[in-house]
Amino acid sequence: MYKKVLFSLGIILGLLLSSCGGATTEPAATEAPIITEEAAEPVTITVWDYYGEATPVKPLIEPFQALHPNITINYESIDWDTTLEKLNVVLTGGEPPDVVTVDMTWIPKFAALGAFADLLPLSDGKLNGIPWGEAYTAGGLKAITYNDQIISALYDFDVYALYYRNDLFEQKGIQVPTNWDELMTAAKALEEGELYKYEFDADTFHGSQWIYENGGTLLSTDNTKVVFNSPEAVEAITFNDSLLVNSVAINWTEDEGERIQGVKDGRIAMFSDGPYYMGIMKSAAPEMAGQWRVALHPYNKQPGSYLGGTGLAIPVGSDQQEAAWLFIQYAMELENQVNVYKLAGAAPALKEALSSPEVNVEDPYFGGQKAFSIFLQSMETAIPFPYVRQWSDIDDAFTNAMQQIALAELSVQEALDQAAATAQEALDQ
Amino acid sequence: MTVIQHSRKLTYSIQKYGISYLFISVPLLSLIVFLFIPMIVSLWWSLNDYSGLTAAKFVGLNNYIKLLTDDKIFAKSLLNTTLFVLLGMSIGPTLGLLTAMMLNQKVRFSSLFRTAYYLPVMTSLVVVSTIWLMLYNRNGLFNVVLQEFGLPKVGWLSNPDIALISIVFASVWQGFGFETVVFLAALQSIPRELYEAAMMDGAGAWAQFRYITLPALRPVILFVYIIGIIGSYQVFDQIFVMSSGGPVYSTSTIVYYLFDKFMDLRLGYASAIAYILFAILVIFSYLQMRISRERA
Amino acid sequence: MNIHPKSFGFTFKRTGLYTLLIVSSLLMIIPFYWSVSTSLKLEQNVFSNPPQWIPNPVTLENYIHVLTRIPFPRYFANSLIVAVITTLGHVFFDTLAAYAFAKLKFPFRDQIFFFMLLALMVPFQVNLIPLYKIMATLHWTDTYLALIVPNLTSIFGIFLMRQFMLTIPNELLDAARMDGCTEFGVFRKVALPLALPGIATLIIFTFMGSWNDFLWPRIVTNSEKLFTLPVGLAQLQMKNTSNVAQIMAGTVLTALPMIIVFLFMQRQFIEGMTAGALKE
Repeated sequence: MYKKVLFSLGIILGLLLSSCGGATTEPAATEAPIITEEAAEPVTITVWDYYGEATPVKPLIEPFQALHPNITINYESIDWDTTLEKLNVVLTGGEPPDVVTVDMTWIPKFAALGAFADLLPLSDGKLNGIPWGEAYTAGGLKAITYNDQIISALYDFDVYALYYRNDLFEQKGIQVPTNWDELMTAAKALEEGELYKYEFDADTFHGSQWIYENGGTLLSTDNTKVVFNSPEAVEAITFNDSLLVNSVAINWTEDEGERIQGVKDGRIAMFSDGPYYMGIMKSAAPEMAGQWRVALHPYNKQPGSYLGGTGLAIPVGSDQQEAAWLFIQYAMELENQVNVYKLAGAAPALKEALSSPEVNVEDPYFGGQKAFSIFLQSMETAIPFPYVRQWSDIDDAFTNAMQQIALAELSVQEALDQAAATAQEALDQ
Repeated sequence: MTVIQHSRKLTYSIQKYGISYLFISVPLLSLIVFLFIPMIVSLWWSLNDYSGLTAAKFVGLNNYIKLLTDDKIFAKSLLNTTLFVLLGMSIGPTLGLLTAMMLNQKVRFSSLFRTAYYLPVMTSLVVVSTIWLMLYNRNGLFNVVLQEFGLPKVGWLSNPDIALISIVFASVWQGFGFETVVFLAALQSIPRELYEAAMMDGAGAWAQFRYITLPALRPVILFVYIIGIIGSYQVFDQIFVMSSGGPVYSTSTIVYYLFDKFMDLRLGYASAIAYILFAILVIFSYLQMRISRERA
Repeated sequence: MNIHPKSFGFTFKRTGLYTLLIVSSLLMIIPFYWSVSTSLKLEQNVFSNPPQWIPNPVTLENYIHVLTRIPFPRYFANSLIVAVITTLGHVFFDTLAAYAFAKLKFPFRDQIFFFMLLALMVPFQVNLIPLYKIMATLHWTDTYLALIVPNLTSIFGIFLMRQFMLTIPNELLDAARMDGCTEFGVFRKVALPLALPGIATLIIFTFMGSWNDFLWPRIVTNSEKLFTLPVGLAQLQMKNTSNVAQIMAGTVLTALPMIIVFLFMQRQFIEGMTAGALKE
């Protein structure tokens, strides 16, 4: 009995181990004419995709392989958190993927450490025939440039706009706010007890938006000085906090659950987030179709937002960089960029795709509004996070200050001053 | 000795001890390759400024000095972890002892009760943390029950004053069953005659506990505390799943901070954190051994 | 023998005792019950007020979703293979080494053992990256080898078995030696059978540790076909629109195998483990 079990275990093990060994390489068997001009030897590239279910990346594989018969793609779907963890480990000593989806907020650290390949030489300065500078908006290009290198191809972009419950606005006769005072008025008229609040988020994504809207920045232009405790910044965060103080905002901490719950049960009637959230609302809250609209987030001195998104990058340790570049370039073709919207509900980063009619549709969920044009407008004035090695420390310090302010542990000035001191110390090293 | 005499001695030693070394060879080799070498590598890294991607820069003891003198978050993490250990190791073994004593009263279905206490121990900390994260939700079971009693909702994980305690609860729930089982076995091995004799001498319940039960449990208590402290000081999974060290670092622990630094590719700094923890645990274990030896 | 409650330290009245036991056991079970109950609810009822102690309606859609959206059988099989082989490795190597440390004399025996114990006090997370680099050098990343080989033996296992081996009377071993057994024969025929309760404990601890292992498999495997259960299920959880009921379904599925194993092997396990703890 014992021996039989061992024996069968051995067989199973043998079968399984014989199929292990990393990527399955299917040799390119075709003798078909090669359409593109790269070398003819069969090549396999590994692509890591964190998009999840509604991914615009996976559908690219088959047509790409048809166009480039000698390139085989080993596709791995890995969630966002795990991708970051693995990148950290793999880049330091392993077999990195050849193409990986990276969040723009990861770029500062990896760029400063030279982790990603420079796409300029790989692409001969052109993305599908046009110079990089013309393919993206100014903000978009800035987001992917580091030390005159282009370290990833911006694939989808993320900027914030105001989502609001239009049905409640109409019901209560509230005007859509365009500046801070109007926002306070609208929020006061909107809230009812525990319901219909503006969502307050104690993080750098949202905090920075308020600062930009008041003409401030997080770091000085040369990235040597921390300035998120400047008078403009303090004024901005004070106003942000006043929403909490006046009980018209809800501090959306993690234990409140997912925002979509708050959206559905009415705790949240206004919030600031990016275009990808439109897709989430449609799939998770279909019953609220028609109730919501988007608008440019109310500002004080100028519109502002953080600029993020997803880029496609090639780790420097990849030994198939040319083939990897071909895949990225394919992903950036107009049709495929438009599919970023169609399949994932995210905003394509390519300028041409942004202004295409297929993306700029009237959205029935948002009452027939051309929701995308709002985000486009926001992108004009959106600013990416500064690309310094110590970004993580600066981000942590700022976030901590926001939390302290939300918990009323410290005054806005004190919290930001302390955080600025901590961040400056890190920056100076 | 001559060369021949030396080599004869050597072959004799090899024959005599060869088997022993053979028995431990594979495990030892495995441990050397997969445990000791990484440990030595990270010890070396702790003396460097290293990102894993760029060249390492030797900085000597700078990482350690900075951690111990100029890192507020590390200090907070150290404090939080110590608090976590103190709370957990006060409540856990106490609950374990109480439940063990209850079960020792010859109750029916005792194995059923024992299972109830022990089941969480078989569940991974990640699973436990996921379940408790849901329970601690603003609108989760605990708050709803509080509301039934007319009490206000609690920010179990969003209130910095209680977040750590909330995590202690979940951890104790998961772990005290281990102590229950261990203490129960120890209690059952105490001879009844001792208690009977004490009763006949007129000793009350408390005296019996103090002079018979506790002394008999001493070795087990020591075992529980050594294992418990070493383990609790390394608390990570619960923080990772439930709170990410916040809010405002109120739940940041040593290993979580270490992990965070690793994820920021500050490998040298993170390694230094690990070895400070190592030093703390070595000192603790040594002290515990000394205390137990003195008392014996 | 009639045990008088009064003779054991604290005095417990019978009903009071049972009440305490029942109430405390129920409290212990509540989180489990709640997670199962939640896994059978529709998402909108998860945080309903008043709470639904019994789901209404009961739905299996969360389980169906989890089982179809992810290759559950594959993850399960991976976890099983890794756990079984790891456990077998431990049983063989740990007991052998423990026997040597407990019963054989050789130079530096105690020093080596002490040094090994020290290693227990270094958190695993710090070895993550160096160990990964070693895997990469061997080209074992993203293979079963990386999941299994570093875990074939552990200091904890050797420590545990050594404690058991220490209790075996030397006379029995000497007798076997004098009968002409090789040392390995002595180990196999005398020591091993006597250490069986310890081995049962080792098996359960090792199996559980391997089954619940999360961090290492996550880092070292990239391909979905190699994911173990905790890794696969965590992916489900970390999407943006997390569905609590589904997460609970995934959690229940992850915890269930170990709980079932435990329920069947309770007695051996608890006996073995307490025996180990008491032999200090």
